[in-house]
Amino acid sequence: MPKNLQINPEQTYSTDMVRFTDIPVHAYEGDIAAERARWGDAVLCEALRHMLVIREFESMLHAFKSTGAYRGIDYVYKGPAHLSVGQEAAAVGSAMALGPQDQIFGSHRSHGEIIAKGLAAAAAIDPDSLQSIMEVHGDGQLLDLVTTHVGDAGGAVAEAFLLTGVLAEIFMRDAGFNRGMGGSMHAFFTPFGAYPNNAIVGGSSGIAVGAALRAHLSGSGAVCVANLGDGSTGCGLIWESMNFAAMGQFRQLWQPPFNQNPPVLFCFTNNFYAMGGQTRGETMSWDRLSRIGAGISPAQLHAETVDGSNPLAVADAVSRKAELLRSGQGPALLDIECYRYSGHSTTDTNAYRSRDEMKAWQAHDPIARYRHRLVEAGIIGETAADDMVAAVQSQIEAVTRAVVDRQNAPAVDIAANPTIIGEMTFNGEEIGTGDRADDLLADPADIGAMKSIARKARFGVDEDGSTLSPMRAITLRDALSEAILHHLVHDQSLIAYGEECRDWGGAFGVHRGFADIIPYHRLFNAPISEAAIVSTAVGYALAGGRALIELMYADFIGRAGDEIFNQLAKWQAMSAGELRLPVVLRASVGSKYGAQHSQDWTSLVTHVPGLRVVYPATPNDAKGLMATALSGNDPTMVFESQRLYDRVEIFEADGVPPDYFRIPFGEAAPRRAGDDVTILTIGPSLYPALDAAGELSAHGIEADIIDARTLVPFDYDTVLASVARTGRLMIVSEAVERSSFANTIAANVTRLAFGDLKAAPIVLGAPNWIAPGADMEDTYAPQPHDICDAVFGSFFAEKRVNRRGLRDWDIAGMAKRGI
Amino acid sequence: MATEILVPQLGNEVTEAEVTEWVASAGDDVAAGEVVVVISTTKAALEIEAPCDGKLAEIRIGEGELTEVGAVLGVIE
Repeated sequence: MPKNLQINPEQTYSTDMVRFTDIPVHAYEGDIAAERARWGDAVLCEALRHMLVIREFESMLHAFKSTGAYRGIDYVYKGPAHLSVGQEAAAVGSAMALGPQDQIFGSHRSHGEIIAKGLAAAAAIDPDSLQSIMEVHGDGQLLDLVTTHVGDAGGAVAEAFLLTGVLAEIFMRDAGFNRGMGGSMHAFFTPFGAYPNNAIVGGSSGIAVGAALRAHLSGSGAVCVANLGDGSTGCGLIWESMNFAAMGQFRQLWQPPFNQNPPVLFCFTNNFYAMGGQTRGETMSWDRLSRIGAGISPAQLHAETVDGSNPLAVADAVSRKAELLRSGQGPALLDIECYRYSGHSTTDTNAYRSRDEMKAWQAHDPIARYRHRLVEAGIIGETAADDMVAAVQSQIEAVTRAVVDRQNAPAVDIAANPTIIGEMTFNGEEIGTGDRADDLLADPADIGAMKSIARKARFGVDEDGSTLSPMRAITLRDALSEAILHHLVHDQSLIAYGEECRDWGGAFGVHRGFADIIPYHRLFNAPISEAAIVSTAVGYALAGGRALIELMYADFIGRAGDEIFNQLAKWQAMSAGELRLPVVLRASVGSKYGAQHSQDWTSLVTHVPGLRVVYPATPNDAKGLMATALSGNDPTMVFESQRLYDRVEIFEADGVPPDYFRIPFGEAAPRRAGDDVTILTIGPSLYPALDAAGELSAHGIEADIIDARTLVPFDYDTVLASVARTGRLMIVSEAVERSSFANTIAANVTRLAFGDLKAAPIVLGAPNWIAPGADMEDTYAPQPHDICDAVFGSFFAEKRVNRRGLRDWDIAGMAKRGI
Repeated sequence: MATEILVPQLGNEVTEAEVTEWVASAGDDVAAGEVVVVISTTKAALEIEAPCDGKLAEIRIGEGELTEVGAVLGVIE
């Protein structure tokens, strides 16, 4: 795509070999004298203690899950416990090599990783900062619990704070790191560099890449580690993410000082099993996991296989990789082999592995081996080691007693505040736009595409009442372009990417001319990796940046399903509002291209709580709503109809203001006044509804037309006020009728305004089948005659005219046939 | 002999285009295949090449002006 990277046919067809270099497997030699000199004896002993803390912590969870008691404490824990007994050296070794500012992103099996990272960070952060972190978090609720009910038995305050915060989170208490909204599989605490763990296998891969991109662009110097399992190598997202992080454009096209790949380490804790599927030999093809690095980049992701039963081997490898990453040579991959003694979960009966295998691995218990190594080298005595074990048990017991007690550590009070969880969904914050960024390549006013827009009329209707052509008046496409460019020009933390976003100007021309204005590192082409596009945006945003991303067609939401529905939509609430996700996801609704390129999937997105959903139908709304989306701190999906890109403004007589402005979400727009029937439209259905209103008017029926504009949040007040006058409601959208959001609106209006209604509301959408090709499309998306047919047929039978559309269906009969 | 530089057919739904930039100036010598003018539609910009060697004798539609498919943008002699 970029013209400065030419594909040379002679070079392409010259005879050559693709060459690989050897990938080291367990190359660590383990000289204890050198390790003593490197770390010092105190740090080496602490590594043992940290492993013991993790083992005891998880043994406690296992005891509660299996027997309902731990050291005389009775408790029924109903949540999940994916334990990492046997994997402690991987977590602790990695934490030894990372600084407090470095960020780890985990999996469902990451209690050990956040404890290890937290313990290392607590030891490295200066006492004043540590105190401030603890006092600020949750208005001091967690620190109060620790000082009042854990006390000295919990060890150093910062350690007790960490362990109490994690356990209270696992036990879903208000004092947990995320008020119990995350729980066991999602616990995290960013001040210690422990970023979200993820219950979706592989889910952290793209998020870590996005956070690494943020670290890279902001110059924070942080390294980001995606802690993944071997089972995740079967997931598409991790491949998309590894490629995204290794893309050639970082080095070949981005300008200094940004011409480096983002500092991300794909760190696979390889315990040989994906739940019960054996990765090596059964479900995966790689034989050695590290082999996959060779398939991604010429540097083979610097892949290595490392002994995960030895914390010092892991620390050595992670240190070397972190150094590579900090010098811009990433991304990197580690295959850390270690054995999970515990089951996948506490209901696991080990049906998939033999007793002989489990017994053989007992000899490789990382804690026993490491303790033996320290004792053998004279770094710790047997008695001191025994004392260490006892102290750790007391520490975990003290923390456990404090958290188990519901008086001291209650859950959030849902009875007192029934919508408290809902209130965590959105933060409602809006940022201002600042000064012009100092990294622009040119003044927008000097760029041809911007000059073209500047020459156009702002209102799309001529003095004689005729509608201007899209070459002569501002279109919806131009209006989006103006709002987006304003934010890119004035918000240096904003990056924009997607397929064809740069040189092409976006597949539908919304970004036209931007490549001449915005530097590569803030506007770039993404690979055709919809999952990674969304996942990296989630990571970029939760690490402090802002992202505008694009899925070329809304139909590709499926490709990014988990990232939209389980990541983008969830992390604000799962963090109890701790995280902000200012991500705007544009998706165009196609036409003419048939079943896989023409779907209005707004209802899929409104169904999953956590996303603001916008569907502008006019140029003015497109500009104002896009500006609001980009200035908000909540994740927002903006749907754009390809049929509307060339629409000019016909409603606002003053035209689309050339200056920047915002239109608030949650305010529907009345577009035509009438007293006989309310027609609420979603997206492009506004225009056929207007045409229908003309015909209805000829029959003495005046339609009150309202454009919904935003679906989440939704403005019932405007609709109810109209229905109070008209007593009749039709909702028109291009989404298929079954499970359409329009039905939710119809049901709620029926409940809220039953007394006002003269008839049941009608939902008119697309029929419950595929979108047909261009020549049949007008039998699919509601047309003016379909709207008239329905209004006459359902609301004004006395004025019945001959039906002109095909929609005279036996709804119940078709439902019985599954259509 | 004079050769006209025409606005090409730009897809079956496009009728209008705008001259965004004349890369060549009147009086310049131009070579066949050289980009002489950039036009744009509502969606995309398009570089128009000189159809033959010669001198750009005349610019008929200036920068910022709207024109239609098939119109003469300029003349090469």
